[in-house]
Amino acid sequence: MGLNAYLTLAALVFAIGLFGVLTRRNAIGILLGIELMLNAVNINLVAFARFHGDLAGLIFALFTIAITVAEVAVGLAIVIVIFRVRRTVEADRLDLLRG
Amino acid sequence: MRVIVWLPLLVLALPFAAFVLLAVVAPLRRAGRLAGGVSIAAIAAALAGALVVWSEGFRSDATWAWIPADDGPMATVGLLVDPLANAMLVLVTLVSLLVQVYSLAYLHDERAPALGRYYTYQSLFAFSMLGLVLSPSFIQMFVFWELVGLCSYLLIGYWYERPSAARAAVKAFWITKVGDLGFVIGIVMLWAATGTFEFEPLFAKAQEHALAIEGLGTIMVLIYLGAVGKSAQFPLHVWLPDAMEGPTPVSALIHAATMVTAGVFLVTRAQPLFALVPDVLTLIGWVGAFTALLAASLACVEDDIKRVLAYSTVSQLGYMMAAAGAGAPDASFLHLLTHGLFKALLFLGAGAVIHAVGTNDIFRMGGLFRAMPQTGVVFVVGACALAGLPPLAGFFSKEAILAGVWAAGMTGPFVMLALTVLLTAFYMARVVFLAFFGRAPAAGHPHEPPWAMRGPLWLLAGLTVLVGLRLALAEGGEPHGPGWLAPASVAAAAAGIALAWAMYQRGSVDPARVGATFPLSALGFMARRRYGLDALYGGLYRGFILGLSRLIGWIDRYLVDGVLNFGSAWTFRGGDRLRRIQSGQPQDYVYGVAFGVLLLLIWAQWWG
Amino acid sequence: MTFETVGFWVVAAVLLASSLAVVLTKNLFHAVLYLAAALVATGTVFLLLDSPFLFGVQLLLYAGGVVTIVVFAIMLTERLIGERIAQTSRYVWHGAVVAAAVFVGVVGFLIEAPWPAPRPALPADLMPAIGRALVGPFAAALELLAVLLVIALLGALYFARPDD
Repeated sequence: MGLNAYLTLAALVFAIGLFGVLTRRNAIGILLGIELMLNAVNINLVAFARFHGDLAGLIFALFTIAITVAEVAVGLAIVIVIFRVRRTVEADRLDLLRG
Repeated sequence: MRVIVWLPLLVLALPFAAFVLLAVVAPLRRAGRLAGGVSIAAIAAALAGALVVWSEGFRSDATWAWIPADDGPMATVGLLVDPLANAMLVLVTLVSLLVQVYSLAYLHDERAPALGRYYTYQSLFAFSMLGLVLSPSFIQMFVFWELVGLCSYLLIGYWYERPSAARAAVKAFWITKVGDLGFVIGIVMLWAATGTFEFEPLFAKAQEHALAIEGLGTIMVLIYLGAVGKSAQFPLHVWLPDAMEGPTPVSALIHAATMVTAGVFLVTRAQPLFALVPDVLTLIGWVGAFTALLAASLACVEDDIKRVLAYSTVSQLGYMMAAAGAGAPDASFLHLLTHGLFKALLFLGAGAVIHAVGTNDIFRMGGLFRAMPQTGVVFVVGACALAGLPPLAGFFSKEAILAGVWAAGMTGPFVMLALTVLLTAFYMARVVFLAFFGRAPAAGHPHEPPWAMRGPLWLLAGLTVLVGLRLALAEGGEPHGPGWLAPASVAAAAAGIALAWAMYQRGSVDPARVGATFPLSALGFMARRRYGLDALYGGLYRGFILGLSRLIGWIDRYLVDGVLNFGSAWTFRGGDRLRRIQSGQPQDYVYGVAFGVLLLLIWAQWWG
Repeated sequence: MTFETVGFWVVAAVLLASSLAVVLTKNLFHAVLYLAAALVATGTVFLLLDSPFLFGVQLLLYAGGVVTIVVFAIMLTERLIGERIAQTSRYVWHGAVVAAAVFVGVVGFLIEAPWPAPRPALPADLMPAIGRALVGPFAAALELLAVLLVIALLGALYFARPDD
């Protein structure tokens, strides 16, 4: 399959992930959507690396995975703290930054 | 510089120096009588200089560049010294000096700072009037014209705490401003057509008939409009009677002898230009004659002695203008000079009377001749000169005017002027009989005025007689114009005096009954309301000018401020609306990011 | 039809199905499980792209680590509230439209791209190259990544401390 196929696949997964981020009510559900988006990015990187013969894409994908792990850890820690304080998990209720 | 140039310049500069000194050195001004002394000294020296200039018959035209331009200066300042200007110099300085000396006694009760202010204004006025008569160009004349108007405003409103005086000053300013507007437009149009403001080149070209300009008639009418305002011709005459709110010496100086004559001076000066447009001259003649008659009729119903004299001035100015319009500028100017003398005399005399009796109302005076014989004598001399009785100066100048108008074949104006002769004699005799003869009023203790006031009076009376005799001798008994003119005018004057005598002295004819007969009743009715002109002007002012002010105020409040308020209100509301984008919920922000990404994609797609 | 093509279509289908399930299912716990499936499918895609190394890393870190963390988090939050967390989505159609629009935008570029060339030849083993790259040109990035991980660890510890 050509490069375009992989890129299209990645675009689809990205869009689905975006949809999840926008519509999920639970904070953790939003995080799951973000995971999907990051995965799609990884597919893109690896596909480009493969089809252009450039290692840099693979290295970047590696880094992305590592960073994502860190991000998820910290994000969930924050979610837990918020639950302790606000007793709710719904994104609608978390509007302290309201202008 | 030669004597010819620096002596007139000195005459001009002396009052100016006095003015600057008094204006700047406040302690001197606040010293009252000392300020008066400075001003009087300056004007006396100026008079001496003016007499020398006049008697030597200097002629010069000295100018200095003022507004530089590519081919020659656009405007110049300077002096134009010729017999016309020289005569005016003497008149202005003489009457100014007499008035300033008179004021020392008349304004005796004023506080010193106020008196200092008065003399500052007097010096400024003298300078302005002298500058006006010495102007070599329209634009310089206009500058001094405006200055003179300013001085008139300042002096009419000298007692500014009185609302009537303040209003009269503003009224004078406004009405003359209407005329000045025409004047300046005319000057500019003339400049646009010829490229110069100067008199010498313009008159030279006019005399050679090399001045073919489109619409010269319009231009000259506009310039004449300035004279209409300043010399109180109909319909811009309404300011002069109200200007009597100022002190009487001011009325004598400005509203009898000098400022109001500036219009006549202008018409006389610009005679070569006016001669090119005979229709305008005819207009001037008719308006002048009509003004004379109108004002004389108004004088007949006035009770205030100063108002009578004011209307008399308007009437005599009409005479002068009629003569100019008839193509007899020499007669016009002669009357200007003689009238300056005897009208100033009458005003100063009236001032003495007012000073003694404490009221302006002639019906509250009476029998003053016994109490103030000297004042009475000089006043009667002035009245006879005004009525045109020989051999006083007024007779000859009025004769000359009537002859000139007759010779020009303007019968309408002639009839009006002849009728005015009768009325003039009538109202002056009325004043004389009511004020000086008859029974003395119960209250009051009139006395002769002090010498500071009597001196100028005698001097002016003497001059009136002397000038009259001089004119009589110069004529050699040969009258102007047709043979029947002199006896006819004397007869008319005598008839007027006789009528007044019958009504007011003898009491054989009841004025009230005469006034009740038609058409006198109708005329009297209208005259007492000043023919509705004041009301008309007042209505126009309130309607147009105040209406315009209200309109502009509305525009300012609702449109100009409205735009600003609109902008600021919408800034608030817009900010409020925008604030709601910050909902605090992260998903909304992600929406924002997604939109941004979409926009980037679209942009890259189309312009990438 | 090569093996690779068939494999691609299968893996793609699995990936898409599980992704949709992640975002649409009501039960959060099921969503996490579907995510695990999606992650594995992504790993398989890497395999199809001749990177077994990344396949391994994906399985270890993502499918293993991240999923575990999320499961723990769900457990903790559910416990706190004591009820099942509802998953009614918010403004579904708005989100769908925006997501679709982004997809269309990206694909718009893909359509215009020229028909791709076939894959270039590969060296037998990429591992040494990757290793040399990590300590070579990307050494600084590697070190910074390590610092980041330490910071994340500290942060998570800090957030998760008990209320004293």
